[in-house]
Amino acid sequence: MDLEKPDLYSVSPDGRTLILRAGRCADCGGLSFPLTRYGCPKCGAKPEAVSEEALDGTATLLTFLTLHTKLTPTLPVPLVVGEAEIAPGMIEEIMLLGGEDQYRDGMTVRAVPVEITKGDATVIACRFAPVEG
Amino acid sequence: MVKLSEGRPVYVVGVGMHKYQFVSDTLYIDMGLTAVRAALRDAGIAFPEVESAYIGCTGIGMAAGRIMFHHLGSTGLACTQVENASASGSSAFQMAVHEVALGRRDVALAVGVDKHGDQVRAVSKEAVNRLSDTAAIPLVKYALMAEHLGKEKGLTGEDLALVASKNHTNASKNPFAQFQKPRSVEQVLAANRVAGTTTSLMCCPRGEGAAAAIVCSEAAIRRLGITAEPIRVTASALQSEKPQRGREIPSVTLAQEVTEKVYAEAGITAADLDCVELHDAFAIEEILYTETFGLAPKGEGQHFLRSGGSAIGGACCVNSSGGLIGQGHPLGPTGLGQVHELVNQLRGRNGARQQPDAKIGMAHMIGLGSIAIAHILQKEV
Repeated sequence: MDLEKPDLYSVSPDGRTLILRAGRCADCGGLSFPLTRYGCPKCGAKPEAVSEEALDGTATLLTFLTLHTKLTPTLPVPLVVGEAEIAPGMIEEIMLLGGEDQYRDGMTVRAVPVEITKGDATVIACRFAPVEG
Repeated sequence: MVKLSEGRPVYVVGVGMHKYQFVSDTLYIDMGLTAVRAALRDAGIAFPEVESAYIGCTGIGMAAGRIMFHHLGSTGLACTQVENASASGSSAFQMAVHEVALGRRDVALAVGVDKHGDQVRAVSKEAVNRLSDTAAIPLVKYALMAEHLGKEKGLTGEDLALVASKNHTNASKNPFAQFQKPRSVEQVLAANRVAGTTTSLMCCPRGEGAAAAIVCSEAAIRRLGITAEPIRVTASALQSEKPQRGREIPSVTLAQEVTEKVYAEAGITAADLDCVELHDAFAIEEILYTETFGLAPKGEGQHFLRSGGSAIGGACCVNSSGGLIGQGHPLGPTGLGQVHELVNQLRGRNGARQQPDAKIGMAHMIGLGSIAIAHILQKEV
């Protein structure tokens, strides 16, 4: 099955989690996410200077809320979204699996594969879920 | 860097608006001409005296200004369209101000006019995905900040509703505002929930409208016999955002940087401000910016609000026009609508929304991306 956003993640070997695709710059040493075709957003180095670096997909959840109103035609509601630190100092907005009752600030969450329908196709999307245990 | 104060003094001598309104069949040319003619009338000059024009708009299409000005007479004036997202009108104003300060023109016009366009954003053509489909939606970013601050420092849904209630109530006294009904805190809280504690009445509407300002030099005031009270523009700054540091929203940090620049350029402090028009696309922003602007101590924006510090008649009235939440946010005109409000405040002709003895005001906008822009306007005493 295709990935919804293959430029952002790949499926881990056991198929249970997602690995995030970050970039590491050889010129400045900076870590950036997502890895893009354009080069290093920290120092402006050319794309050749940036190599892919895998993030394990775990993150610290900083804040979250439930979206009640459909803000774009393709965004289903209710939907829980949050901000999470996916690497030290790197904060990204994320989409969370299920309802907000299972989440609390500061908890560890993990990127997991979720099947969604997009147009006529079913694809693997990235959602974050609580780390069990 | 050359400061505005090192150039020629620049004055706003005329302002005008077309009412902000929900999407309608009104042609942009009708709205734009209404605002420009009102500004010309206010300044007491004729269109041929205008040497250059900057047109802020986002959703109309190419060459909007040239098409519009054709109906005022093709005078051959320099004509430049400016697109800077929500800050398009503010940026048009800055360019007009700089041109007069530099001495390249004596009379320049800034006009913002917009219709609800196709809303295509360049970020959608970046070919870079984000983990969340909401990552490019500012409302979500600010709603998340509101949730965080609720837990961090006791900011409540009632505080957000109080911002919206104040601004809707100010707008109800403003004939140019899109919303015309005063709203209570209870009504704001009972409106449709959008994200977390943020309700629809805590968010700016989309719409259309126009606003214009004419700026000129001292020489032009004398030469043209302008008798309208001139309001001096003493500072102007624009910057774009830097990478996020910790939990701070980059646009909030950026707002602090531009205000520090304009305070330094104008030689004032936050305590000197009598009235501020700021970018309150979402209610949480007003609380955050009153802190970053130094109107309230850090972390005490909600206390400044609750005590009436930002109300008309308070220490520094914030968004007496109704702000983006109440007056509206048609994008292209929004920053010039702020200038319209401040000029009326500083001239003491703002009626039921008059801040007593107003002498210094600041206009602040954020443009998607983000950029921040601020101007200081002062009454000559």
